[in-house]
Amino acid sequence: MQKHHYTAILFLVATAVMAFIASKDFLKMYEHDKVFPSEALTKTGMLSDYLPNLKGSNGDTEVYFFDSGVQGGTTLVLGGTHPNEPSGYLTAVVLMENIKVTQGKVIVIPQACRSGFTCTDPMEALPLGYYLKSKSGDRYFSFGSRVSNWLDQWPDPEVYTHYPSGQKLSGFETRNLNRAYPGKAKGTLTERVAYAIVELIKKEKVDVAFDLHEAAPEIPIIKAIVVHEKAKDIGAMAVLNLEFEDLKYALEISPQNFRGLSHREWGDSTEVFPFLMETSNPIQGRLRGRTNADLIINGVDNNYKIALESGKLRIEYDPEGEPLSVRVARHLQGIHAVVEAFNGFYPERQIVYENVPSYSDIEANGLEVYLQ
Amino acid sequence: MLFWIYIIILSILTVFVMIELFSEKQWKKQIAFVMILIPFILRILQIK
Repeated sequence: MQKHHYTAILFLVATAVMAFIASKDFLKMYEHDKVFPSEALTKTGMLSDYLPNLKGSNGDTEVYFFDSGVQGGTTLVLGGTHPNEPSGYLTAVVLMENIKVTQGKVIVIPQACRSGFTCTDPMEALPLGYYLKSKSGDRYFSFGSRVSNWLDQWPDPEVYTHYPSGQKLSGFETRNLNRAYPGKAKGTLTERVAYAIVELIKKEKVDVAFDLHEAAPEIPIIKAIVVHEKAKDIGAMAVLNLEFEDLKYALEISPQNFRGLSHREWGDSTEVFPFLMETSNPIQGRLRGRTNADLIINGVDNNYKIALESGKLRIEYDPEGEPLSVRVARHLQGIHAVVEAFNGFYPERQIVYENVPSYSDIEANGLEVYLQ
Repeated sequence: MLFWIYIIILSILTVFVMIELFSEKQWKKQIAFVMILIPFILRILQIK
């Protein structure tokens, strides 16, 4: 053997060590975050209960049922449609860890796009997760990709053709759960997850469904509630009620020609009243600087602050930041307002729950006391 | 099926990179080869 053979072996060993270290981090993303549902939990199911071919796949995810046993309506709360939008996921977790249902039924899916929680978006330098203080100490929460894991659904086509409308989008969107509804029973993993969620809505006779999201601060629909046209009265009432709480929301009607989204397809395919809610999330912003767990939790970004101070930022941005606790509080208050509005319009299908923190509760106490 | 074709192509490329690694005499260039190998290995093992 010559000298350069020895250096090649040395470098190969170093490569194996680095690959092993990296693997440990990547494989950790497949571990499920611990959640502690409240005592009101009546059943834990899986999404594959509604589409058996999801069983054992990376798209299968837990479905938590909180049934009061008292006749009433049913609501579904979906977090983690886009795993890089943490307030949706955290809102579902806070809700299920505190809720007591006194009438009707509440169903929660905290990680709707389970596959997306097992990776992050390439070239974005995103953290794999973050720690939050809770009653039981520091808790780890996964941060993921906007879309399903490439390893679960490959290759992306050049152009994604939505089923069944035929709408064409960029190939990347083929793994986007919120472009896949109403889904396809024998389609791609993402289409199957979408199909199972629609089946759940039909079989459980869900009356009101929430899809919780976040968007970059420069996106116009932040701080909005997007509704299907059949739910616009409920949405308008909810927005008015939120105004009384000094919380501003824009009411957006779901575009009829933009297919595949929850607020459009759930409403068209089922009897449910769908609502999609957005909050402002600086870690998704294109102007953002240092990208780390602090940015997820505190939402303070110096680049946005500089842009705001220069007068060139033509969007609403709080220089104090967009903390995760405030974003979760907005979602929880939004859900409450919509459910209250629904109860007003449909008193025979009331959904009544308690013990879920309000916006002002979280503003006063932080998130910590509501995480078990 | 396409996925497995991709994995086979990647495996062949990995072998070629390793052959080049052992035939390369400058250690600085060898480092470049092993840097390429890390993502290849993780992808073949379907970890990343």
